[in-house]
Amino acid sequence: MSELKLEIQGLHVAIDGKEIVKGLDLTICGGEIHAIMGPNGTGKSTLASALMGHPRYEVVRGQVLLNGENVLDMSVDERARAGLFLAMQYPAEVSGVSNANFMRQALNAKLGEGHEMPVLKFHRQLQDRMKKLNVDESFADRYLNEGFSGGEKKRNEILQMSMLEPKVAILDEIDSGLDIDALKIVAEGVNTLRSPETGFLIITHYQRLLNYIVPDHVHVMMQGRIVKSGGRELAEYLEAHGYDGLKAELGIEDETVEVGI
Amino acid sequence: MAEQMMDTFAGRALSGKLGEPGWLSGLREEALQFFQSAEIPWLEKTDLRRRGFDWLDGPEARVHEAAKALYDQLDGPKALVVDGVLQFVDAPVEVLEAGVIFGDLHACASKHEKIVQKHLFSAVSHTESKWAAMNAAAFRGGVFLYVPEHVVLDRPVVIIRAQTSVHAGAYPRTLVVGDVQSSGAVTEVFFRAPGTPSKEATTSVVEVIAKADAHWKIGIVDEILDGPAHFHERRAVVDKDASVDWVFASTGDGFAWSSLQTVLKGAGARSTMRILGTSVGRMHHDLTAKMVHQGRSTESDIVMHGVLRGRSNAVFRSCTEIVKGAVDAGSEQHDRMIVLDSSARADAIPMLLIDENDVKRCGHAASVGKIDPIQVYYLMSRGIPEKQALKMIIWGYLEQTVAEMPAPEALRDLLVGRVEKGLVG
Repeated sequence: MSELKLEIQGLHVAIDGKEIVKGLDLTICGGEIHAIMGPNGTGKSTLASALMGHPRYEVVRGQVLLNGENVLDMSVDERARAGLFLAMQYPAEVSGVSNANFMRQALNAKLGEGHEMPVLKFHRQLQDRMKKLNVDESFADRYLNEGFSGGEKKRNEILQMSMLEPKVAILDEIDSGLDIDALKIVAEGVNTLRSPETGFLIITHYQRLLNYIVPDHVHVMMQGRIVKSGGRELAEYLEAHGYDGLKAELGIEDETVEVGI
Repeated sequence: MAEQMMDTFAGRALSGKLGEPGWLSGLREEALQFFQSAEIPWLEKTDLRRRGFDWLDGPEARVHEAAKALYDQLDGPKALVVDGVLQFVDAPVEVLEAGVIFGDLHACASKHEKIVQKHLFSAVSHTESKWAAMNAAAFRGGVFLYVPEHVVLDRPVVIIRAQTSVHAGAYPRTLVVGDVQSSGAVTEVFFRAPGTPSKEATTSVVEVIAKADAHWKIGIVDEILDGPAHFHERRAVVDKDASVDWVFASTGDGFAWSSLQTVLKGAGARSTMRILGTSVGRMHHDLTAKMVHQGRSTESDIVMHGVLRGRSNAVFRSCTEIVKGAVDAGSEQHDRMIVLDSSARADAIPMLLIDENDVKRCGHAASVGKIDPIQVYYLMSRGIPEKQALKMIIWGYLEQTVAEMPAPEALRDLLVGRVEKGLVG
């Protein structure tokens, strides 16, 4: 189980009949951190949601393989149990379900029947992760994301990630709305989880996050596909020159998939 | 047939059989006459054309094992009524030494005549409606609780009402009087027998009288099963600076019209209602939760949660009435219903009847909808299977009401089991 490989091949994704992702290829191997950058409306978040199986997103063409298994044939929960994790930009709020209960159910679903984690062990692990991520103890008993600030929701996503220890973690604009301290905590969460068995796909507008999480590969998305890939120096180039420089170089006038999205 | 049965089954005849005092026999007879002459009412959302008010009379008390098992597990003040007969009643010595009266309402009508006469029918009159009259004429297995001034009960009183047959114990009545500065909790739990739709009717009444500065929590764990039509009146009258908090849970597949009401009579009176209703099968449940603000600076809150499945139909009304002169009143309503199957039908109806200009706050929110698919997606995205995700979301929605139920763990487990059986099975 040590070798990890997520392969995205010729992926086309539509929402409400409109194609947003238009032919995307990407391979993530264990131990790699990939960053996808790009301006608003270029299909970055659509890619993330489609990989997880959001009900509104329809995969029109292409395939996604996780260690050779067809991800697109799996239901959302099967994808999660296979090792996919998406830290969402706008996670749902669920009243009456405590964070701790939610995470325990999720963890036990992953471990499978008969292999559930003992309650005490679970709580110890949760306390430990909460401390590491500088998350207040009250988090455990609060209802899932209910009344959480934007920053608290993001940290809760990272807390879940650190508890579930996924094979492939997709972080969808985890940095937006975070102050620098929160950003460091989030980065710490990612870096702790970094291992040869885990791959990361980090979606962001800004280079800022990449000062704390050093990517191996940087991809720029425009018009629903990857238009340029490189190493971490690509992120620095974008920071210095903005997306306009790259657009001029590539001869792209309108980088969005559709005006107004 | 119904007419013959009535001879010993209701009114003066029943009263005599139960050894009640003359004043009560007289009122029962009045109620019976009112019942017989009253037309079958027209109800806005409940069609009574295929229903009726025929009497139910059944076998004398038998053993109800589940109810008895629950009774045996409880260690606070408790009563077990089976098929309209009070079979067991028990209260810790210190409770009785404090002057608490707990037991047979029929016997107390003589033994504690003054207090029973003053309060019985004072919240729900014996001639206010066809079903209230039916109950007043025919109630049996009545339970009376009186808690004297300043007495605080630290454990909830549990009244278990069970039937071994749909025909037996169809007319329960409970009277709770909390005197000045008393406080405590009472929960009434029903074990009903299933039947088939009929023209008969079962009616129950709970009256709660909270005197000045008394603070009471009242729980109802009802089970509405297919069979006769159900008509239930549960009502509290709350005096100056007193409070009554209701926690009401109903499950089942039967046909019911029910009302939960607080009359905020004294200045500064407060009341809350937390209501949970699940409907399965072909249930029809027409439920009105009402707050009547009569005193100055009275406050009320209603939270209603319904979950529907199958071909059930539920009408949940939340109603705030602020009468002229009840200045500075505050009231909030929250009514939310979740429809799990598209064949089920839910109505959430908020009502505000306000005759006073000086209102402190008055708000309402009502919604009917399905489970949010984005919530399901979120839970599933962490590996939780869809069925379990749905269950968690539904429980998240109902759990707080269950947790608020003033009852020992065993009773709460019973309620959880009933809700689960209906919604997840």
